[in-house]
Amino acid sequence: MLDVGRHPNIELMAYSEVEKVEGKEGDFKVTVRKKARYVDEDKCTGCGACKEKCPTVVSDAFNEGLGDRKAIYSLFAQGIPSTHTIDPDHCRQLNGKKCGVCAKTCQAEAINFDQEDRIVNLDVGAIILATGYDAFDPSRIPEYNYKKIKNVITSLEFERLLSASGPTAGHLDRPSDRAVEAEIADLEKKAKKSRRALDKFEEKYGEGSAEFHEKYRSGSFADDEDRKKWADKYAAHLTVAEPLKTLKKKAEGFGTAKKLAFVQCVGSRDFRFYPFCSSYCCMHSIKEAIIAHEHDSETTSAIYGMDIRAVGKGFEEYKVRGGNQSNITYLRGRVAEITQGPGDNPVVIYEDTRERKVKSEEYDLVVLAIACQPGNGVPRLAEVFGVEVNRFGFFKTGATDPLDTTRPGIFACGCAHGPMDIPESVAQASAAASRAAQVLIASGSNSPQMAA
Amino acid sequence: MSKEILVTGGGIAGIQASLDLAEMGFKVNLVEQSPSIGGKMAQLDKTFPTNDCAI
Repeated sequence: MLDVGRHPNIELMAYSEVEKVEGKEGDFKVTVRKKARYVDEDKCTGCGACKEKCPTVVSDAFNEGLGDRKAIYSLFAQGIPSTHTIDPDHCRQLNGKKCGVCAKTCQAEAINFDQEDRIVNLDVGAIILATGYDAFDPSRIPEYNYKKIKNVITSLEFERLLSASGPTAGHLDRPSDRAVEAEIADLEKKAKKSRRALDKFEEKYGEGSAEFHEKYRSGSFADDEDRKKWADKYAAHLTVAEPLKTLKKKAEGFGTAKKLAFVQCVGSRDFRFYPFCSSYCCMHSIKEAIIAHEHDSETTSAIYGMDIRAVGKGFEEYKVRGGNQSNITYLRGRVAEITQGPGDNPVVIYEDTRERKVKSEEYDLVVLAIACQPGNGVPRLAEVFGVEVNRFGFFKTGATDPLDTTRPGIFACGCAHGPMDIPESVAQASAAASRAAQVLIASGSNSPQMAA
Repeated sequence: MSKEILVTGGGIAGIQASLDLAEMGFKVNLVEQSPSIGGKMAQLDKTFPTNDCAI
């Protein structure tokens, strides 16, 4: 990624969208909209002082909503370009409120609330579509109860939990436990506030609140307005302190998730959604189980699938190694339902097709291997670029020229083209680059021209 | 006749295609919709089968 940012022949336009494509192979006229970041790209040093001070907290999509970011943000720590961006939907200043804290903090004076979208016109000979995919939303499958049962998460959410730079710093904390911890933090804040009010009364009357309240309830100080306030404050404090105590006791038993289940083909190979195989999810789940075991050697994983498709160089060996060295059990059967068990433990109900028996098993955490679906932006892109899509919604390519879209001079590679893993995406990208180079060389220039 | 190329999407495929073409000497315009490049790959902790770091 760093190489892209500093290569003299690459003009990187991040936070931008293609709006119009005219012309033909060898001679396309492209209109690109560079969206306003409200931060000057030439001035921003990416130091991040602005986001430290920004008062607005927003759910972080990069962490799949498992963490928070600020209204001024960088997508992730090592992002290229490192230029920060103001989210216009959440920024206080841009929504008419008084703020501007980031502008005051920024030493480079890079914040510019008046920045507008810019239109850039390009003349290009060939186009490569590498627009990727979107992850399937498993809440479309009612029987898996995603979002209803907290400890049922997606493979991408699990990936963020495993990441050392993720919201849990790489610890496999269960979402239900994290929710309780967030509630504790919230209640502690409230309890601290109400405690301060009680302290004042206690100092004034030289008596503990509990002691006083006992007397108050037995009828003393009936006409004392000030003491009535104290009693009310104490009662309010109890409504916070009591649940806080209960939750803290509950949190004492929290540990990391050790017994994991991976459910394959969530949205793929399913005629209700996508009949195709998403190709990478079997290996993805095995990898996640292996990494989880690397984090904690007591971790055990069960992978539920109709079959495990380990097709690729070194993949089968990886699968076998996972079984032998990383406590992975492969179970053949499609999971029928996931229900809520005791202690926030999800229960997986499935048919073991080897024994022809319906079984159920309780886990700490269930991970759904979600399908690779066409990008949500594909219909708009297909119209802008004037290319056709296939029956699933991926860009249509020929059987004999698998990188060529229906419009000459435009090529598709990676998951924009169909589900594939990283090595295959890389191979296709190199192939698409060659196809694009062929067009340019054939359409006039005998040798590529170095950028000025 | 233009000697430039447009690559749409800055995930692993777009990055690879851009670098290949740039190395060949073509001028590449890489357009990415989000604030930074990396795409889905950047969200991954490690990659199979080598368990290499994704970033």
